[in-house]
Amino acid sequence: MAKAYVVLCAAAVVSLVAALPKPALGFGDTGAFDPRVLVAGGVKGAARVSSPGRWSWELQQRTSAPARLRPSTVRADDPSLASAPFAVWSGETSPDPLTAGEIAGLRRYFALGGMLLVDDAGATDSGQPSSFGVGARREISRVMPDTTPIAIGPEHVVFRSFYLLRRAEGRVRGPKTLDAIVRGGQAQVIFTTHDLGGALARGVTGSWEHPVVPDGDTQREHAIRLAVNVAMYVLCSNYKDDQVHAAWLMRRRALSGAP
Amino acid sequence: MTPEHVTRLGFAQDLPPWAPLVAGLLTLASLVLLAVELRRSERARRGLVAVTAAVAQLALFLAVVRPVRVASSESVVGPRVVVMVDQSRSLALKDGAEARAKLRDRALESLRKSAPSARISMIGFGGDKPTKVAVGALPTESHSDLRKATAHLAESADERPEALVVVSDGRLEDPPEDATDAALVDLFPGAKVHTIATTRRVPKDASVRRVSAAGAVAHVPLPLRVDVGCDGGMTCKELTVVARELRENGPPALLASGVANVKDGIAHLDLTITFERAGPRVLEVAIETPEGDEIPENDKRYITFNVTRERIRVLHVAGRPTNDVRALRQWLKGDASVDLVAFFILRTPTDNPNASSDELALIPFPVDELFSEHLPSFDAVVLQDFDAQPYNMEKHLPALANYVRAGGGLVMVGGPNSFVAGGYADTPLAEVLPVRLDGALGATAADQAKVVPTYTDEGRDAPLLAPLRKLLGDELPEMPGANVLGDVREGSIALMRHPNRSTKSGLRMPLLAIGDQGNGRSVALGLDGAWQLQFSDVGARTSGRGYGALWDGLLGWLMRDPRYEPAQLELTSDCVAGQPGTLRVHTPAYMGEKVHLDLVRLGADGKGVNVPVADVPRGARTLDIPLPALAAGAYAARVRLGQAPATRRDFACEAGGDEWADSRPDPERLKRLAKATGGSFQWADEPVVLPLPKPTVVASERHVSPIVPPWVLVLGAAASLAVSLFVRRRSGLA
Repeated sequence: MAKAYVVLCAAAVVSLVAALPKPALGFGDTGAFDPRVLVAGGVKGAARVSSPGRWSWELQQRTSAPARLRPSTVRADDPSLASAPFAVWSGETSPDPLTAGEIAGLRRYFALGGMLLVDDAGATDSGQPSSFGVGARREISRVMPDTTPIAIGPEHVVFRSFYLLRRAEGRVRGPKTLDAIVRGGQAQVIFTTHDLGGALARGVTGSWEHPVVPDGDTQREHAIRLAVNVAMYVLCSNYKDDQVHAAWLMRRRALSGAP
Repeated sequence: MTPEHVTRLGFAQDLPPWAPLVAGLLTLASLVLLAVELRRSERARRGLVAVTAAVAQLALFLAVVRPVRVASSESVVGPRVVVMVDQSRSLALKDGAEARAKLRDRALESLRKSAPSARISMIGFGGDKPTKVAVGALPTESHSDLRKATAHLAESADERPEALVVVSDGRLEDPPEDATDAALVDLFPGAKVHTIATTRRVPKDASVRRVSAAGAVAHVPLPLRVDVGCDGGMTCKELTVVARELRENGPPALLASGVANVKDGIAHLDLTITFERAGPRVLEVAIETPEGDEIPENDKRYITFNVTRERIRVLHVAGRPTNDVRALRQWLKGDASVDLVAFFILRTPTDNPNASSDELALIPFPVDELFSEHLPSFDAVVLQDFDAQPYNMEKHLPALANYVRAGGGLVMVGGPNSFVAGGYADTPLAEVLPVRLDGALGATAADQAKVVPTYTDEGRDAPLLAPLRKLLGDELPEMPGANVLGDVREGSIALMRHPNRSTKSGLRMPLLAIGDQGNGRSVALGLDGAWQLQFSDVGARTSGRGYGALWDGLLGWLMRDPRYEPAQLELTSDCVAGQPGTLRVHTPAYMGEKVHLDLVRLGADGKGVNVPVADVPRGARTLDIPLPALAAGAYAARVRLGQAPATRRDFACEAGGDEWADSRPDPERLKRLAKATGGSFQWADEPVVLPLPKPTVVASERHVSPIVPPWVLVLGAAASLAVSLFVRRRSGLA
C-alpha cells in the first residue's frame, strides 16, 4: 500500500513537472551577453583564450543575466561586427595599424552604439601599459579621431552596475581607474591596464591560469567583480545612475565607508 | 427697377458745357446793346431793324448751340444696403414672452418697408463665414463675430454697400465690449453703420459667464478662474461653484469647489484643479441655480481640456538584463519626453554573487510600492521578459489590469519569461492583453525556431508602423524565436504574424498585436529580438534607426499621439444640446471597412447612444457621421474601422454655451458703433426709419439727334444776318 502510494506520488510529480509550461531553452540567447573576441590589427584572438568563456560563466553564476558560454570571434572588417553591441580586444604585443576596412567596420559599429573593452594583457605588475595597450589606444584614436580617453573611477556607473567597487583591478593591480572614451553619455570604449582577462582565465583542469599580483585571490575576486560590472554596464547601460537608485546607493556607500 | 423712356432737348454734344452759356450771354448782350442803340436813334423803321437784328442774333445762337433731341431709357437705382443680421444663439433667448429673434425679424420687415427703393441684402453673422438669414427660425450659431462677417464682405467682389445696418442684441464676441472708436470704425472703413438693438430688458439670470484656464498638464495643478454673473434684478450674494471631471463608467469626480461672493452682479473665483490622466478630459463647472433664475441652462458649463503630459512617465520592468532590455532602455532614456522609472531584476534567488549585500549595488524590487501606491502616476507600464510569480506580483495583477482599463498603457515584451512562460495566462492581466494566452497545463511557451516576422494587411496600413516601414519596407531582420501567443482578442488587431506557426484556430500566430482595453491600450510584442533592428545587417544599413522607429510608433500609439491613430475625428461645428451635429472621420487607412461608432455619455450611467453608421466606401478618405440631437453633457465617441482599435474623441454639448453665458443685451455697444461710424441707432420695437443714401439715376440707353440739320442753322444764321445788315443800312445805321 505504501509502495503504491509512493509510486502514485512520484507519478503525480512527474506528470506535474511535465505539464508545466515548457521553458524556452535557447530562446533569448541571441540577446545574451556575448564577450566577442575582436580580431583586428593583426591580433588573431583573445590574449587569454579561456577568459571570455569564464567571464560569461561567472556572469551567469552571479547574476540573472544570460550569457554565451562559448563566445564568438568577430573580425573588425566583417559586417557581423555590427550584429551585437559588445566586443573585447586584448593582446600583449603591439597591434599592427588597422586596415581601412577595419577602421570603417569599427566606425560603423560605434555609430550604432556598440561598446569595446580594450584589455591590456601585457600590463606590467606595476600597472604600466604594454606595447599592446599603447598601440591599441593609438589605433582606436584613428577610428575615433575626435575623442580622447578620460579616467573613470568609482563615481562612474561601471563601478556600481552590480557590485560596489572602490577601484579597478585585474591580474595586476594597476591604476585605480579605468580609461574610457565617452560619447553621448555612454562609455563606448573602456581601456584597462590590469589584464582583466588574465584574472579570469581558467584552464581545463579548473586551475587559474595566471597568478594575480599582489593580492592573490582577493584581488582576483575583485577583478571578477569588475568583469561582471562591465557586463552589466553593457546590458543595462547607466541603469544604476537612475535617481531611484541614487539615494539608496549613496547611503550604502556611506555605511561601508567606501569612497 | 423697370427702365423709363425719357425724351429731352439739349445742345450739341461736342460743345463744352460752358459754350451754350457764353453764347447765350453774348446773344443777350447783343440784344441789350441793340435796344440801347435803337432807343437813342431817331431813324425810321426802328421796329424792322430790331426784329431782323433779334432774329439774326437768335439764328446765330442756334447755329452755335445746334439744338438736339435726347431720347434715353433711365432707371432709378436704390442704394445698396447690407443688413448684418445676428444669427447667434443669444437671439434665441426670450425677452419677455418672445425670443429676441422675433423682434429682430420684425425690425427687418420694418426696415424693408421704410426703404422700398433700397437694395437690401441680408447677411447672417455669427461664425467664421456669413450665412443666409432664415427669418422665422431660431438662430443656431455658437458665436457672434461681427468683425469676421464685415471682413468677408470687404473681401467680396460684389458691389460695395453704401450703408451697413447691424441688427443684434449687442452681445458680440467681436468687436468686444471695450473696443475703441477707432476699432469700431475699422469694422468697415468708409461706411456708415446703422444699428438696430433687439432687446432692452435684462433677464433675471445667474450664470457661469466664463471659465479661464491655461493648457492642462497631467498631474500638474491647474489654476482655474471662474467668472460668475447675477443680474436682472436678482439678489445673489454667494454662489457655490463646483468643478467636476466627467468620467466614463462612474460618477463625476469632484476636483474643486468654492464660494463666489457676488458684488455689483459679478464675482470671480479662483480654483485649482489637477487632472490625473492625460488626453481629452471634460470638466463641468456649475453653480447652484438660485430661485427666480429665468435661464437655468447657463448655470452649468462644460469645458473640454486636451490634457497633455509634461513628460510621458513610463515604468520599465525587466526580468533580466539582455541586449533587448539594453536597446529599449537606451531608447527610452534617449527620449527627452520620457520620464523613465526602471527596475531590472539583476539577481534571482538562485544566483550566487559571492558577496555580502552591502557589497552589492542592488536594491530590493519595490513591488508593492510600485504596483499599488505609484501605479496611477505612470502613463505606461512596460513588462519585458518578466515573470510575475517569483516577485509576489500576482496579487497586483488585478490592479494592473484595472489601471489599463482606466486609461493606462501596457506593453508586454517577449522573452523566455513573458506571456505563457511568465504565468500570465488565466490571470486578470491576460484579460487586458490584445492576444489570448494558453493557460492549459503543458502549454508551449515559446517557439525557438528563428523567425522573420511578416506584416499583416493591417500592419502595412497602420500609421504606427509607418515610420518603420518607411525605413525598411517589408524587410525585417531574422529573430531568435518567439513567444507562443493565441489569437487576437476582439477589438484588437495583429500587425505582425509568424510566417509559419498557427494558433489553435488555424490563423497565423500574432507576433505584434495592439488593442483597446476599456479606456486604456495594450501592446503585445511576442519577440525579444527587436534589438536586431539596431544591431544586424538591416540595422547597420539604416544606422540602427529601425528600432527607434518601431518604438516611436508603439509608445506614440499607446499615448494616443494623433500621428499614430488609425483615424482622426472632429466635430464639424460646436455641439449644441438638442441640435443634430456631424462627426467627421478622416482616415488614411483601413478603407472599405465596416465602421462602428460608440457614443457614451460621460459621468452618467455609462449607457451608450445608438448611432447608425454607413460603411466607409472603398477609397474614401473622409466620412461624415450624422449625430442625433444630444442632451447637454459630455460624450466619448469611439470610432472603429473594421477590427482596428478605436479612435476616441471626447466632446461636450452645451445647452447654452458661450452665447448664453452672459444673457444681458448690450445696446450701448450698438449705440457706440453707430455713433463712431456716423450712423444712427434705433430700437427694434419702434418703427425703423434709417437715413439711408438716396437712389441714383442710371441711363441704360441714349439716342441724340439734331432737331434741325446744322447746315440749315448756319445758312439761316447767315441769311438772317444779311437781312439784318441790309435793313440797318437802309435805315441809316452802320
